[in-house]
Amino acid sequence: MKDSILQTLGQLREHALHTGCQIALFYHEEDSYLMRFANSAISLNTNEHLIRLQVTAHDGKKRASFSLITDLSQIDEMKRGIDTAAEMVKHSQPLTYQPTIPVYGETFVDETGYDPALTQMSNEEKLRYFNEAAKGLETEDLRLSGIFSSGANTVALINTESEHALYFKTSDAQVTVVLADATKKWEVIAEQSAQKRSELDPGRLQQELAFLVKQHVTVVPQQLPLGSYDIIFGPAATAEMLGTMSWIGYNGGLMKRGYSFLSEGEVGKRVFSGKLTLVDDPARLETYPFKVDFMGIPRKRYPIIQDGVFNGFIWSQDEADEFGAEPTGHTVTHESMVVSGGDAAISSLADLVQLPREKDILYIPFLHYMNIVNPSKGIITASSRFGSLLLKKDGSVGIPFNVRLTQSLLDVFGDKVEWLSQESVPYNTSASYGARNPTAWIVPRFIKVNDLEISHSNPSY
Amino acid sequence: MLQEIKQQIARIKGLGATYVDARWYPFEETQGLFMWNGNLKDNTYSRESGIGTRVLYHGAWGFSASSDLGDLASLFSRAFDNARIAATRVTFPVRLADKEALQAKFASPCKIDPFEVPLADKVSFLKKMDEQLDQKGVEQRISNLDFIRKQIVFVDSEETEIEKRITEVFSRLEVHGKDAQGVTHERKWRVGQQGAGTRGWESIDEELFSQQSSRIVQELNQVLAADDCPKDERSVILLPGIMWLQTHETIGHPLELDRILGYELSFAGGSLVTLNDFGTLRYGSEKLTARADATLPNSPGSFGYDDDGTPCRNNLLIDKGILVGAITGRQMVEEANAKAGRKIFAGSGGCNRATAFYRVPIERMTNINVDPGQDGTLDDIVKGTERGVVLDGERSWSIGSNREQFHFATEIGWLVQDGEIVKVVKNPTYKGDTLRFWNSLSAVGDESTWQVGFVDNCGKGQPNQIMQMGHAVPVCRFDRVTIGE
Repeated sequence: MKDSILQTLGQLREHALHTGCQIALFYHEEDSYLMRFANSAISLNTNEHLIRLQVTAHDGKKRASFSLITDLSQIDEMKRGIDTAAEMVKHSQPLTYQPTIPVYGETFVDETGYDPALTQMSNEEKLRYFNEAAKGLETEDLRLSGIFSSGANTVALINTESEHALYFKTSDAQVTVVLADATKKWEVIAEQSAQKRSELDPGRLQQELAFLVKQHVTVVPQQLPLGSYDIIFGPAATAEMLGTMSWIGYNGGLMKRGYSFLSEGEVGKRVFSGKLTLVDDPARLETYPFKVDFMGIPRKRYPIIQDGVFNGFIWSQDEADEFGAEPTGHTVTHESMVVSGGDAAISSLADLVQLPREKDILYIPFLHYMNIVNPSKGIITASSRFGSLLLKKDGSVGIPFNVRLTQSLLDVFGDKVEWLSQESVPYNTSASYGARNPTAWIVPRFIKVNDLEISHSNPSY
Repeated sequence: MLQEIKQQIARIKGLGATYVDARWYPFEETQGLFMWNGNLKDNTYSRESGIGTRVLYHGAWGFSASSDLGDLASLFSRAFDNARIAATRVTFPVRLADKEALQAKFASPCKIDPFEVPLADKVSFLKKMDEQLDQKGVEQRISNLDFIRKQIVFVDSEETEIEKRITEVFSRLEVHGKDAQGVTHERKWRVGQQGAGTRGWESIDEELFSQQSSRIVQELNQVLAADDCPKDERSVILLPGIMWLQTHETIGHPLELDRILGYELSFAGGSLVTLNDFGTLRYGSEKLTARADATLPNSPGSFGYDDDGTPCRNNLLIDKGILVGAITGRQMVEEANAKAGRKIFAGSGGCNRATAFYRVPIERMTNINVDPGQDGTLDDIVKGTERGVVLDGERSWSIGSNREQFHFATEIGWLVQDGEIVKVVKNPTYKGDTLRFWNSLSAVGDESTWQVGFVDNCGKGQPNQIMQMGHAVPVCRFDRVTIGE
């Protein structure tokens, strides 16, 4: 398939050379499967095979794009797409800056992240996985829901500036298993992210769910008083909050537009907890990495926060062109973000509830519907969801109704951080809006942050 | 092509499927122009075509989609196979509410096809808007135009055949600036309608855009010079520019019947509403009447027929405060009635829609509207308010997983004291519990305050789907609301 794709792109490039424009082609192919569960049934079972081609035409400082959903056999349709983009760019308006069109010095092919065994899992195998993950846990009241989303993703680029191309192919799976009580309305979750088949482990999910279900069925949930709490965040919550930083934190273009709580004056200074190190590391296959960005820049390990010190903003080529900055190899559809583990030997929920404590601690695994209240101050708001626990100082475990946090990320990841667990896990942050774009963060299994305010507390679910 | 699709539907029916449908998109085109500080950052055009098919077999759904129309037999067989495996894990066998077999056509109201307008004219319009927004205090200026044009042919195994042609126009103006403390603030305006007229290129009214650009720049500068919003409890008066979102998030989403029945539990969330609540739950004060009205003549939430092949309807959701209806499609009403042990829903509300040929239809909002009231104009409502704040423009919104509570930040606030607006405040926020909030509704503006907001990007479902809809809402006042947190 790779040869066929590259050959087709080569033919299209030949056609593009005759348009009189500089043309860049972005090919995206997905083979997507999603089995969705609700009310203990398979509520939806879908698959889509889609090929998208985006054609960007440049004429000096003018730029225009045409995209289509197509098929490799439709070479004439794709050529017409090139002609359309070339026509559109004539009527475009010049940018105030000169956009860079890359010259690929050599063809780059990376299929190291592709495992056919994962993408070729049958419907029966996926169902078996789900059945194992929920084994012995479903009842009349306790209903299973979730997704098994898997697929193959191919990205390839070529342009009129050289005959060389970039080609990436990955496989991915995102599994979410939820057990929810139909009448009491509590719900617990366990999730898994996989780049290859062997990483799928339904037994581990079953253990986590069994542990959480046991807590929830034996304890009466309670409304928490408002106030300050020491909070332990699970990987979903941590990845969600840090993911927000890629918007309103270290993104160079958005900083220049006034949409960041970090400033150029803070580069080189300790802004976050000394325990926090955040690195973009394309060597980590679990993050479905791009080892070269779409401009052909090799992507190396790129520290963004090192021991709490903010090392600098990341720049895509277009933002760098506009603001006169140096691109940092971040012209990609997603980064490969890794948060280093800490020194706490706490790697499971069982470890967590055994944690010695002198005061109540709130465990929040998941944050629902996060949004940015004030980007300049890094203030976000979100509600807890999916199996929060109140680790009481007397050693027992309580179940709190959901609560709302409205906090600055500078507080959450600042000096209030007490510890990070040693073990890190990949957390799948993929969304399936538009084209498939498998994404995962590697984050510590748990992070403890002290003295955070609960601004709203539900009296029920 | 249509004949081949019908043949495949018949073939899959012959294999034992109880229902089969197909949505064939001969074309769907989108055009996006996005100008940021004078730079035309996006000048994009896309075209796609394809087919998606649903198969119901032994009470379970299978779906498959492809842009390759050369092998329809494989496509339909894949959907059947997907249904076959799904049928091995069924807890409530899917059945569909009755509908009449229809042969129908629908076209959204459009005088001037935006795709036929020269690109140069569109760019010229944005450039003019950008120049008008380039004023003192404005550091970031954004203007955009988005157009959608699509043809959808729906065919099912119940002899229904519908052709729809939909044209949409979305546009907004937005300005950002920094206050003396370096904090960014924003003000925006989106094109909308009064629920009448048409929504082709003719809705890009240059005079209206110019008026609105002057207004948002002026208001941004007022915000930049303003004090922070106080932190206290008082009345909030929501203008349509935020009232639409309040309605969307805390009436629209919680009343989607698939959410109520638990079909979105692993992702979007559940609902504070249960089946027992229909007909009895006091959702809001007596001043609240809300509806899902897909018959509004001109809105993205009016589309003729849904993707079950059901005609659009005007469904009452909340009648003088009492919950009476939901946002429904053919599958969910049957399940809800059966599980409730009573007939809550007489039939499908015609709200099942998919965002593209490659996504499956799910319950989506249509036009989720709040009826205008009898409490006069905005001025009348302000005059009747002892201590309050008028709020407008969404900035941030976050809602609990059962839609039971929320936190919103808005772009601008005007403090009200003893029936008069006394000053502008910045960084306004408000929060509340959904039922308590709607039950504190104390004033609903008349038709002069009622505006339709167009929504181009509501997300829901897995795989995720973006949908377009509308909200026609008046100015509303709510009492004893916490602000400033």
